[in-house]
Amino acid sequence: MIPARANRIQLAVVLLLLVALHFYVRPRLWGPRVSPDFLLVGLMLFAMRSGPGVSAVAGFMVGLAADSLTPARFGAGALAHTVVAYVASWARAVFFADNLLVNAAFVAAGVWLRDFLVLAVSGSGDRSVLTELAVYSPLQALSSALFALVVLLAFREWFSIRLDA
Amino acid sequence: MASASERSYTRRDTVLFLVCLGLSLFGLFSPASWGQGISAGLRETVLWPLVWLQVRAEEGKTSRVRLRAITAQRDSASYLVQGLPSLLAENERLRQLLSLSRRLRTRYVAAEVLHQSQATDGRTLLLSAGSREGVSAFDPVVAPEGLVGVVLNVSDRSSIVMTWAHPEFRVSAFTVTGNAAGVVAPSAGGEGGLEFRGVPYRDSVPVGTLVLSSGLGGVYPKGIPVGTVTGVVREQAGWERVYRVQPAANPGSAAHVLVLIAPEGDLARAFPSDSALQAQRLDSLERLRVADSVAQAARDARVRRTDSLAAIRRDTTRVPPRRVVRPDTSAASPSPAPVSPAPPATAPAPAPAARSPGASPGDTAR
Repeated sequence: MIPARANRIQLAVVLLLLVALHFYVRPRLWGPRVSPDFLLVGLMLFAMRSGPGVSAVAGFMVGLAADSLTPARFGAGALAHTVVAYVASWARAVFFADNLLVNAAFVAAGVWLRDFLVLAVSGSGDRSVLTELAVYSPLQALSSALFALVVLLAFREWFSIRLDA
Repeated sequence: MASASERSYTRRDTVLFLVCLGLSLFGLFSPASWGQGISAGLRETVLWPLVWLQVRAEEGKTSRVRLRAITAQRDSASYLVQGLPSLLAENERLRQLLSLSRRLRTRYVAAEVLHQSQATDGRTLLLSAGSREGVSAFDPVVAPEGLVGVVLNVSDRSSIVMTWAHPEFRVSAFTVTGNAAGVVAPSAGGEGGLEFRGVPYRDSVPVGTLVLSSGLGGVYPKGIPVGTVTGVVREQAGWERVYRVQPAANPGSAAHVLVLIAPEGDLARAFPSDSALQAQRLDSLERLRVADSVAQAARDARVRRTDSLAAIRRDTTRVPPRRVVRPDTSAASPSPAPVSPAPPATAPAPAPAARSPGASPGDTAR
């Protein structure tokens, strides 16, 4: 098998696993506001291993799905996920994010940035936004980053992750 | 210096990003009905397997929790009520009493709430029921505690609910005492609560007063609890007071809700207060006690009837013991008197001729 194709298939397997986790396991977890966002973890892992354009398209599709399932303001999720995926892809090129901690930090930052953009674009500028951004979003970012660490450790061979972090 | 292929690669990335960004902005600023149509279409087609997966997960989670709760209830109840079997039946009756669906006199659809990971979850909810189940736009959504919101958008197998936490939520309301009416809306300060606005300055509402939907406007029926007054937020002297209202239902933690289909009339009876529930419970206990006593009496009567029937059957089927007569003694001894048929009931009584000398007249009569 061609190595590039093998990598693509391996990445697809992990992403499918994360999608299944998001929609089948996540509802069973405690606290939906702070439990890991498997979909965003998958998007970040994909974005950090793809070009910015493809990442932006993937982010747009994930955001569209999020908007369809929680349409607080249609388009907000698409915009936020597009920006986050595009930025993650560019940032990976800048930071050479091929070790564990940088990957996890990217995921945490992505979750928080996504929440910030969604809340900002949704047009709710009240005090609850501050609570979301100061309490729930960091907690969800932390749990998502921890889960991303687990995924990267479990599939380190597939993701070619350096363990000397 | 970057090569031509790298430059085109970068340009392609930028173009893709700008296209996605433009589409997002288009969705953001397009009419809400367009966005809702696209959302419904995606939910019914591409995203349907994911929604189905989440529905199964929610069912699994709630059924596991329910099973655990019922097992715990059963264990503790069976331990506690070993001497009082009727308490088990009372437990069942209480659960039936507490279920809102039994109290509603209007049509409804039970739906599961599929919580999402976005920060705006709680303002809008995704329900697992859609137009296939009979849900339509602007149907009110309630939890056992009170009003949750209103259906905003319906697709075939799912629907979107705007909860009271949404900034655009409004419901016409009045106090349970009927002395003040106004409009309930999310608090302007974003404190996560509700405000009871437009109450005339002369109408003071005491703390703890229940606020119900008034039925005006035609969306929400009359009598659904919206919340409880907890204080005054602000007041304009001589004009109006705005009260802080503690919401009755919490959409963020709701796992199941009821969508009311074309509700009519006053629904206040479907949401009884705690005292009313207590009265109903006592009433059901009394009925249970009476039913138990009637059943016990019927059981006793049945046992007595069975006993008496058995006794009668014993008496009628009893055979007198046969006398054993030896042939050798039968010649010496006078032969026993032949069994004669019983004298007819109309036979005359024997005359008292053979009366012994010492016998008194009373002996014959005895």
